Amino acid sequence: MNAHPTYFRILGTVALALLGFFLPRFLGGSSHVYDTLGTIASFSAMSYGLDIILSDLGEISLAHTAFFATGAYASAILSVDYGQGAWVAMAGAVLAALALALVLGLITLRTREFAFSLVTYAAAVVCMNIAANWDFLGGSDGIVGIPPLALTIGPLSFAASQPPQFWPFAYGLLLLTLYVVHRFRRSRLGQAALMVHMNPRLASMCGVDGNRVRLLVFLVSAPISALAGWLYAFQRAYVGTDLFDTYFLVLMLTGVILAGRRLLLGPLLGTALLVGQKSFFSLGAYGDKLVLGAVLVGVLCFCPKGLASLWPRAPGRALRQM
Amino acid sequence: MNIAQQLVNGIIIGHAYALVAIGWTLLLGAARLVNFGHGQIYMVSAFVAWWIMSMTGAPYVLAVVVAIAAGAVIGAIMQRLFLRLTLSQDLVNLMIATLGFGQILEGAAGLTFGPKPETLTSPLQAVTFDFGPVWFTAQDALAVGATILVFLGLHVVLNRTRFGAAVRMVAEDPPLVALYGIPISRVYISIFAFEGAAVALAATLIAPRTPILTSMGFEQVVMTFVVVVLGGIGSVGGSYVAGLLLGLFTAIFSALISPAYTTAAVFALLIAFMVLRPGKLAAGGNFAR
Repeated sequence: MNAHPTYFRILGTVALALLGFFLPRFLGGSSHVYDTLGTIASFSAMSYGLDIILSDLGEISLAHTAFFATGAYASAILSVDYGQGAWVAMAGAVLAALALALVLGLITLRTREFAFSLVTYAAAVVCMNIAANWDFLGGSDGIVGIPPLALTIGPLSFAASQPPQFWPFAYGLLLLTLYVVHRFRRSRLGQAALMVHMNPRLASMCGVDGNRVRLLVFLVSAPISALAGWLYAFQRAYVGTDLFDTYFLVLMLTGVILAGRRLLLGPLLGTALLVGQKSFFSLGAYGDKLVLGAVLVGVLCFCPKGLASLWPRAPGRALRQM
Repeated sequence: MNIAQQLVNGIIIGHAYALVAIGWTLLLGAARLVNFGHGQIYMVSAFVAWWIMSMTGAPYVLAVVVAIAAGAVIGAIMQRLFLRLTLSQDLVNLMIATLGFGQILEGAAGLTFGPKPETLTSPLQAVTFDFGPVWFTAQDALAVGATILVFLGLHVVLNRTRFGAAVRMVAEDPPLVALYGIPISRVYISIFAFEGAAVALAATLIAPRTPILTSMGFEQVVMTFVVVVLGGIGSVGGSYVAGLLLGLFTAIFSALISPAYTTAAVFALLIAFMVLRPGKLAAGGNFAR
């Protein structure tokens, strides 16, 4: 890894980012295309939250649907019940997710691997049960009537009621997420997380407090998934307990694992393949579920290092350097 | 409130939890596998029984037998798929693979049986026993009796037979068992087939209580997760006790405090238990006791 990225690499990244922005237009520019790509952007942002835990900390959190849902619920409550704008909703989503992550992080501090996954799973079930029954959170009906996304930055204001207008927001969030994950992996915390994952004893000998690192990584990860939930709430104009559905969990896990762990663009590619199939080559709700499950089982059983490992040289390196 | 009736309900629900849990308990104890596809096997088995009865007009008993066979086949397929992950004891990957397996079953069941709620009819559901303030159905009695028999049977097989000894050995140290000359994949396939068959038996005995839906896999067995973990990982006797206690807790909590938050309360208890007694989660020690 090169600590000082060359101008060439920066230029390439900018070009790729611009190309990505115009991708819906290249794909025909229909409302359906914009909607699909917007969904890919928000779902992959959701997956990146899990990616940090899974790839860097080496634990499998089954509670990330709860962070995603927390972001969505906080946004819905602030914008519907309290009439607040999208910025406030965004701040609310992040704060709510941080609070939940702090509680969960402290609870799971001493659990590892297997036990960690079981506790996070149980926590997600508790959150879902509360969301389904507490009237403040809309109960089993959820919260409807979330206004279209509108953001004001200084003198500029943007509103999105149609998929094409929504796309810049989704794409912006995706780029922000990629930047954060990239920075995280190069940060002291990211390096420490990897050390705690790969060699906990070495980490503690180097003076790295494993528990502190785990908690901090949790606190970085949760807002990422929550911001995706924030966006998704506006995109769908409705939140409900289906946000806790196993579908989202399986989508996130598969998205992260499909391309390969610790690849910056991995979760994006994985999610794009899965959502793209559902959107453009749908086999009906049940068929899609079957495909999603089969992809997850197939990858884990036959290619546990992800699709990128089938292609031994170039793509792995190229993606990591991005 | 009718306390006696709540206690009876608790005992019935508790046995239902224990029966649904038993295959998973063995799977977890012997193969360290958290099977998140458990609920979907339950669902598919219930639908297989319903389908046999409504398509061929077969009696309930025959439908139960066919569903058990179907459950065993699903378990065996799962074992073939996950063999490599099981042998390498890649526990966490194994766990998420079962999430995917559950999605496959749910999708396939939706395609085959459709989205409508159906009813699995058992002739015993209509037979009720009244004892003063307390009543229950013959189906409930059957489920309780079958649970006790299955637990006793499993206990005897695990502790009194050569095969049971092989299962216990596989739970302790699979590579050593292989060195000893016992074909471990055959032991594993029996364990997985038992998991499928046991949950299918549970489904056919318990599903007549409520309508069945292809999406019910999660909520019907979510409590089982608690039974399996609380019972002490892989402990057969422990999961019977845990199931019974959980059933009583559920019945009393929902009658006295709030039916809506029962699941949250139970899972909060589970979290507290797992966090305060993490040593209990280290599978091994108390298996088959």
